Amino acid sequence: MTVYKYFIKIALKNKGVILSYTIIFFILSIINGSTNAQRETSFMETKLDIGIVDNSGSELSKSLIEYLGKKNNIIDTISDEKYIKEQIFLEIVDAVIIIPKDFEEKVINKERAIELYNDDRKIESYQIQNQINKFISFTNATYEDGKFDLSSVGIALDEGIKVNLLKIDNNDVNQKANTWFKFYFNFTSYIIMAIYIAVIGFVMTDFINKEVENRRKISSIKFLKFNREIYLGQLTIASFITLVFILGSIVLKGKYIGEVDFSKYVINTIVFSFSALCLVFLINNITNNKFIISGISTVLSLGTSFISGVMVPQQLLGEKVLTIAKFFPTYYFVKINETNISSFLDVKYEIFMQLLFAMAFLLMGLYFSKVKQKA
Amino acid sequence: MKNIFRNCIYQGKNRYRDKSFLFWTLIYPLIMAIFFYTAFNGLIDIELESIDIGIKSENPIGFILEEIELLNVHKISEDEINEKLENEEIQGFIDNDLNLLVSKSGINQTIIKEIIDQIKQMGELNVPIEKFDFTIDYVLDRNQKADAIIIIFYSLIAMVSTYGIFPGIETVSLIQANLTNVGKRINVTPLKKNDFLLAGVIVSLILNLLSNGILLIFIKYILKIDLFTEIRYSAIFIIIGNLFGVALGMLIGASNKQSGNVKTILGIMITLVLSFFSGMMSPDIKILVDKKIPLIGKINPISIITDNLYKINLLENTQNVNQGIIILSIYCITLIFISYGFLRRKTYDSI
Repeated sequence: MTVYKYFIKIALKNKGVILSYTIIFFILSIINGSTNAQRETSFMETKLDIGIVDNSGSELSKSLIEYLGKKNNIIDTISDEKYIKEQIFLEIVDAVIIIPKDFEEKVINKERAIELYNDDRKIESYQIQNQINKFISFTNATYEDGKFDLSSVGIALDEGIKVNLLKIDNNDVNQKANTWFKFYFNFTSYIIMAIYIAVIGFVMTDFINKEVENRRKISSIKFLKFNREIYLGQLTIASFITLVFILGSIVLKGKYIGEVDFSKYVINTIVFSFSALCLVFLINNITNNKFIISGISTVLSLGTSFISGVMVPQQLLGEKVLTIAKFFPTYYFVKINETNISSFLDVKYEIFMQLLFAMAFLLMGLYFSKVKQKA
Repeated sequence: MKNIFRNCIYQGKNRYRDKSFLFWTLIYPLIMAIFFYTAFNGLIDIELESIDIGIKSENPIGFILEEIELLNVHKISEDEINEKLENEEIQGFIDNDLNLLVSKSGINQTIIKEIIDQIKQMGELNVPIEKFDFTIDYVLDRNQKADAIIIIFYSLIAMVSTYGIFPGIETVSLIQANLTNVGKRINVTPLKKNDFLLAGVIVSLILNLLSNGILLIFIKYILKIDLFTEIRYSAIFIIIGNLFGVALGMLIGASNKQSGNVKTILGIMITLVLSFFSGMMSPDIKILVDKKIPLIGKINPISIITDNLYKINLLENTQNVNQGIIILSIYCITLIFISYGFLRRKTYDSI
């Protein structure tokens, strides 16, 4: 097992690449996973993040703030247009409202009394505008003898309708936890592909090196045995890397694996890893130039992730982009992760496609290696 | 002076013939820009969509709901309710007693609830109906577009501006006798290493700025995305980003004995990680990082460049730009200083 041993040894020399990818990935998953993943049992109103600048300080403005505070999360802001614009641009807040000094007067005169910074292409902006207009229209309706009846408005606005949550019977999947798992496993496809191509590619360039190859040719080791050990080495490294990421999900969110379709994710990841490995085989047979391999590793892993819906959800990508994406296994991998399945028959086509890609990569790889041997 | 000029020409020619350099600084950024463009093109033009709700045809407030522009009212029968909710054909169903049935919590469901709430609340206030006047808009709209998506392009430019890292690595490798053959030859000639190094920095800067220029032209005229409104400060940040890249490249080149390939990969990894945290893969990551660990954004050089580029150009805000320039300058000076420490007074007993 000399070849196998050295394969593993050289692979571990590239631990920098493996470690750096893995560490970033886990940091990100931990940051992302800190939100709570409890199952949704009753309807929760969506709270917007809003900033409020109160220049009026009147009773009216205070009760408006109190009302908005009940419905939304109040985020600190300052009365500086540039700062506010940046907060909105970065989506730290959904909206910022500015209550002017002469707020009451403007309300009574039915003028535009509130300055609102928001993005009016977003549905959230309708929500906040509606809340403000509702509050002011209500208070104005109670205006009599120079006074508002703020307490009645408060009581009326506390009233609300009953909302029932429809119980959907989809195998008791905890949607919130599922969202996390989806994100996690979608992202592993990027990391797995990048690490496979880089690490296995680098090791192979050392083996296919002319001098090493010449020495191997005059040695007693059979070509078949040499190849078998090489592939065993590739398989070991690949399984190890994939295993790290599967275990990672258990370490981070282990207590929820019963509430999501964990076996779907694991099997999907294993199938994807296999087709990624075959892709590596193809790449290694096309080139053994380290520089080209690092280029392909970065471009291919990032590129397919972008067009297949790892970074942005598939439904937001254009038709044409998805058509191109269908030529890579990542598309089918993401698709399975996004589908709620009752049995594996639901995604048999996607799994089949990934395996088909694996076969295609293998055959193309074999073809190129034959061409090389003849040359 | 003449020496430096001659060195510049030779190093420039040398660099130009290096395929690895050409790929990473010239072609790779263009490929990335195309990927970003195809992936995010649909997201740049978002529009407000109306909300689909379901009612039965005899619903008492049906006529009010149909007046509301944002709502898309579907009249459905009893047995369709669950199916349409599950398939998300409707976001909520309002029964004749004004109870709301939804399949999940979300912003659309909340808006439906608020609208129905209002009808109930109006009854509760005990004020004659004619006193309500909902035709008045009390809100003065100051629209600020929230286009975090565009950050990825600034982040890409920030990353590419630091790609001076590759010529930086190359220059330093060329004068180290234990790394390259050219290094051996240079070390036995009376050629001044300082001149050679300075020429290397100049050539690196010029070539990388040139490739940055090609990327910017590509984004502006081929992808047709307008990123720059303020040229002066933007140029300062791109140039200082280049300087940072060259300095970092010199440090990577001088600090270890790895082969050129490994150093190049190290450079790619470092810049990729830094850009990743500055939002290049997805603006959500930047927002997430800024929320949870704000320090990363403050010290990450690529974040500093990205943040300042969009602040200057999109928000037309030039406050605090000096702070960014100072931090980056400190980085550059420190890096150059350290790499000089590695390079100076190196002699070899044997090679």
